[in-house]
Amino acid sequence: MAHVARAARESLALDESIRQKRAVAGEQGAQRGARRLEPPARSIFDAEQTETLPGTLVRSEGDEPGPDVAVGEAYDGFGHTHALFREVYGRASIDDDNMPLLGTVHFGRDYENAFWDGERMVFGDGDGMVFGRFTASLSVIGHELAHGVTQYTANLIYRGQSGALNESISDVFGALVEQRVLGHTAETASWIIGAGLFTDRVEGLGLRSMKAPGTAYDDDVLGKDPQPDSMNGYIDTVGDNGGVHLNSGIPNRAFYLAATAIGGDAWSSAGQIWYDTVSGGTIPASCDFITFARATAGAAADRFGADSIEHVAVTEAWATVGLGS
Amino acid sequence: MKITVTRSGGIAGLTREWVVRVEEQGDPDSWFRLVEQLPWQPRHRSAAQPDRYVYRIGVSRRHITLPEQDLTGPWRLLVDRVRDAVDQPEKE
Repeated sequence: MAHVARAARESLALDESIRQKRAVAGEQGAQRGARRLEPPARSIFDAEQTETLPGTLVRSEGDEPGPDVAVGEAYDGFGHTHALFREVYGRASIDDDNMPLLGTVHFGRDYENAFWDGERMVFGDGDGMVFGRFTASLSVIGHELAHGVTQYTANLIYRGQSGALNESISDVFGALVEQRVLGHTAETASWIIGAGLFTDRVEGLGLRSMKAPGTAYDDDVLGKDPQPDSMNGYIDTVGDNGGVHLNSGIPNRAFYLAATAIGGDAWSSAGQIWYDTVSGGTIPASCDFITFARATAGAAADRFGADSIEHVAVTEAWATVGLGS
Repeated sequence: MKITVTRSGGIAGLTREWVVRVEEQGDPDSWFRLVEQLPWQPRHRSAAQPDRYVYRIGVSRRHITLPEQDLTGPWRLLVDRVRDAVDQPEKE
């Protein structure tokens, strides 16, 4: 029993250390409160089907909308995502220091992808067979901008479990941007990432389902959505930086379960807890799933109280996906 | 000689694979010349960038894994040629 008691003491000491760090982070946040939360400063560039970045500047902040749909979607999507972080979490853009939002559309030829290159968000037009343009989904735009927020906060290493957490955090805030704009609660939201990206030829709702990972698509050409929904299905692979877009299904479902157990607007409850965890300075860049699970439970207790509905919901959500602490 | 290109990652997390046998292509010598130029030990290896593709390229028994942003020069020419040979064989 001695080792159990020792483990419990060490765990308590760790909790205390995390609480102290969080308190310091909170004070720093309060000091930063003096700085202004500026409106977004957006610049959208056109790569004109090349892979040369940044491309030609086609719309700056405050410019009237032009005829290019992708440019308008990127501009508006950046605005909605910036507003979520600014108005709900009090964050001043990607770096919390009013960093300009840079985006490039029409990247590459038939390019079926979107990415964050460390400085800007980049969107392809799709091949027209399976995928249409990647700006068509607000959750995808939010996903890419959230990669920037993660880079400037927890800076999770993009490989293995920390990489899957990096991915999941982008899915979480991508979904929340869309839910907030649509006025969807946790109960009424689709929890689909990338709805509207597939052409009509594809049998699928979108890229991923946070509610039911592994069910987003089942198509003759694409195959079946491979995401696991719990640790029982965890995928060991060398591809995709160690399956970062596959195993993200596990923390994605934990977020969905926590948000629906709490109920109401997910961005202000579970979303706040996840934001506190990512930005709180307590998780390592190499964070694994169980460490992240415990950190979110700690963040829920700190913000809403120990044994609050939120704290219990988060703890039970992780247990359901096989990450009980 | 068999050349395999496996592309994983991307925001969709879909894996695609293209395979060619050089001897079955229209101009095998030009393929061999391209293969001879491949830099198997790149001087620079970029860090992973979120949602970018990851390429694993196999030529006979040699393999290399490259992030999309390092797919330049002969590697890019090879990957584009393999994809075209499989997806648009009329171009070969």
